[in-house]
Amino acid sequence: MTTEGDLLHTVTSERISALRRRAGRSLVWVTGLGFLAIALWQGLYSFQKVGWGFDTWRPVLFAYLVWATALCAAQVIVRGEAGKRTLFILPAVLFVVSLVVFPLLFGLYISFTDWNLASQDGMKPNGLDNLRQMWNDTFFWNALKNMIYYVLAVLVEYAIAFGLAVLLNAQIRGRKFFRVAFLLPLMLSPVAVSWMIGKSMMEIRFGPLARLARELGWDRPSFFGTPEMARFTIMAMDAWTFIPFMMIMLLAGLQALPKEVIEASKVDGATPWQSFREVIFPLMLPVSVTAIVIRIIFKLKLADIIINVTSGGPGGATDSVTSFIFREYRDRSNVGYGTLLAMVYLVLIVIFITLLLKFASRFLERPQ
Amino acid sequence: MKVELYNRICAAQKLSRRRMLQGSAALGAALAMPKVALADSHAKLRAEILKIPGVGAGSPTDADWQKVGEMVLGATKANVAEGEFKGVELTFMGLNNQNLHNFLFRGFLKPWEAYTGAKINWIDLAQADYNARLQQSIATGTVDFDIIEMGAPFEGDVLGKGLASEMPGWVRDQIDMNDYVDYLKAPVGTWDGKTYRVSIDGDCHTFSYRKDYYDNADMASAWATEGDGSAWAPPKTWEMVQKHSKFLAGKTDPLTGLEAYGFLDPLKGWGGFGFYFLEDRATPYAKHPGDPAWLFDPDTMKPRVNNPAFVQAIQDVMDLIATPNAYPADQINADPGTTAFQQFLAGTGGMLDWWGDVGSSARTSDTSVVGDVVGFDINPGSEKVWNSQTSSWENTPNQSPNMAYLGWGIYVMATVDSDTKKHKAAWSAAAHLGGKDIALWMSAYPSGFQPYRNSQFNYDEWEAAGYDRAYIEDYLGSNLESYNHPNAAIEPRIPGIFQYYSVAEDELAKGYAGQYKSAQETADAIAAAWEKITDQIGRESQIKLYKASLGI
Repeated sequence: MTTEGDLLHTVTSERISALRRRAGRSLVWVTGLGFLAIALWQGLYSFQKVGWGFDTWRPVLFAYLVWATALCAAQVIVRGEAGKRTLFILPAVLFVVSLVVFPLLFGLYISFTDWNLASQDGMKPNGLDNLRQMWNDTFFWNALKNMIYYVLAVLVEYAIAFGLAVLLNAQIRGRKFFRVAFLLPLMLSPVAVSWMIGKSMMEIRFGPLARLARELGWDRPSFFGTPEMARFTIMAMDAWTFIPFMMIMLLAGLQALPKEVIEASKVDGATPWQSFREVIFPLMLPVSVTAIVIRIIFKLKLADIIINVTSGGPGGATDSVTSFIFREYRDRSNVGYGTLLAMVYLVLIVIFITLLLKFASRFLERPQ
Repeated sequence: MKVELYNRICAAQKLSRRRMLQGSAALGAALAMPKVALADSHAKLRAEILKIPGVGAGSPTDADWQKVGEMVLGATKANVAEGEFKGVELTFMGLNNQNLHNFLFRGFLKPWEAYTGAKINWIDLAQADYNARLQQSIATGTVDFDIIEMGAPFEGDVLGKGLASEMPGWVRDQIDMNDYVDYLKAPVGTWDGKTYRVSIDGDCHTFSYRKDYYDNADMASAWATEGDGSAWAPPKTWEMVQKHSKFLAGKTDPLTGLEAYGFLDPLKGWGGFGFYFLEDRATPYAKHPGDPAWLFDPDTMKPRVNNPAFVQAIQDVMDLIATPNAYPADQINADPGTTAFQQFLAGTGGMLDWWGDVGSSARTSDTSVVGDVVGFDINPGSEKVWNSQTSSWENTPNQSPNMAYLGWGIYVMATVDSDTKKHKAAWSAAAHLGGKDIALWMSAYPSGFQPYRNSQFNYDEWEAAGYDRAYIEDYLGSNLESYNHPNAAIEPRIPGIFQYYSVAEDELAKGYAGQYKSAQETADAIAAAWEKITDQIGRESQIKLYKASLGI
């Protein structure tokens, strides 16, 4: 037993023989080449270039797992203690590569194929045909246009959420009750909201909202009868669900504001409005931008309420890109085109969010 | 029988102990007749089956299903020796809706497993996952089941690709296929002349109307003034449905005192199922008695959805949209679930086409207010019919009930064909579930299935079991007439049929919202979208499969 050196941290000898290194590297190469060979062979078999192969791709998966395990083991065999440190992160990296990067690349491939599940011929690469189809697809562009309306509605939601947050931050009676009560819609599944509100409360003959509307003088209430009204109603239901989310973020921001600054503004003679406009609002900008960006990300996924309540109608007026892709992919088994639409939407979202964050970055630092 | 329906019937009949005893007494009396009891042991067996657990005695349990499975095992025993399938394992893929379907099959097949020695593994799927799971299994070549519960519309996807096993002759005899209602006989369940399907269910759309509208003196006198001179009576044709619907706009409903409406069209899509409701309007115009095809041209797969027959149907709907107050407000957002359960049963609207569920729920649902004033008929006919062969209208009256969805069946996959023992075992299990006697029980108790055999319409058996005869005759009569109609419109069982329906719903929604200039333009947009789907799936194969599905 050694009594010298770093007794606390060194748990194995760093003296690694050349033979051991070679063995470790060989392990990776052999299993890696085996994996590639099996994958290549199975690929050729699936394209009917060779006469025999496996019934499924499962053996390729097993070969990948063997290679991944060998790669992890080789880290320790070749590099000893340093390799063990790598082992803390390497399995996670391989996991992400397997479950995120590979499916993404595979999805990219599918999006350039003609693949209708009902087709007799299966998947056929079709170049840029899906892109051309998308270019001429009025349903897709209509859905994208609707998304602009939906995203713009976030600004209105923000204004309402800010107002509610300010109210709940004030010393009002029953403040705790209202804080919980206002949070309740967020706890509901959008599917439940669709059925309880969209299908039941807005039912035009018996629904309580329709009755209320009649009481208020609207003879024939119709919440989904025209494109504008339907779009507004969908926006309202979505807003009702998610305004509490923005509100709670803004409320947290308001409570974290330095009290002395606000009190100083009062001492200096600022009216409540001036205090809000010149002090509170600027101080709240970082929280506001964060809330808006997260809400926009939520909004870009909007689909459940639309699918359940209007199916995108009337005439596509309420369709979101996601609800349209849902119909294209699920109802019509159009895997290739549906995947392309999802990929394009992903790219659009990445670009949009990047620009948005760049634009918002100037507000993310609190003014000194 | 669907579970909610069963519960409602029991509730509606208020099946008291006294009434139950009456039913039992009637049954007992029937059984006590020496001539019947001795001469027909089969009838006795059927009566005994109907006593498990007894109408109104609560929902059947797994023990009841097993008991029924045991009682109907005679047919299996005639073809299979005890323990003959020892060591055979089968995988059965089906639904788990309402804890029925596969759950029932498990119970029914348990005695069969015990007798034959086979073992069944189960794949339970929610309805929403079913289509995707099936299509993915087919597309990726990973069919991991030997027996499947499947709707006839998917036959194109499965039978057309040669994935199913042909039914052996002994199964045909065991399940007595001659007892099937007419529309479920060939070509349904067959492909290229070969039989594949063991039916366990039936489906079609029937017409429901409000009798109180037609018994109402005020409406009759108003019709005498405003109408076309015809009698104020339930409409028999779509032309009359249109006239009545326009006439009723702005009138007062005699039952609710609210606004009256005519026919309730669902104007919003329903995952493809909404297109069936435009078909209801179109089939009498489009389904010529001399031509089995009505949705596509079988030689070219050219859609007929933009021919004058379908355009007439779309135009009729558009005319009602344009007529003030012909529909309830928000009708543009009403799907078939809304028209049936939120509107018609709740007293809104005078006429409706739907599956058998609604006709019966009208009398038994707690939320229905039309139970005493509802009448039933087959799908309205038309005064003219489009002849696609001559491309002209024929001014002859026509009727064509829409056999929407065709019902569930049991299919055996070709994966068992290479193993004789497994093949026989799979078919024996399918035949056990599709037997004549088990069918009676499934239609009388909660199972999720509707009647599909002529023998299930023997009202005496229902009455003896404790059901209200008038009710049952009402419930089943319009279905039976539709099922056996000589010019029934049978759904094309081609691959991807729901893709066609789904895209049609999208285009119809645009048309109804006024985004197309006319009914013709709407229909042309549907046809163009259908042509794309046909090209994508493969025109030549679709032609071949469509012809096979039509039995041409």
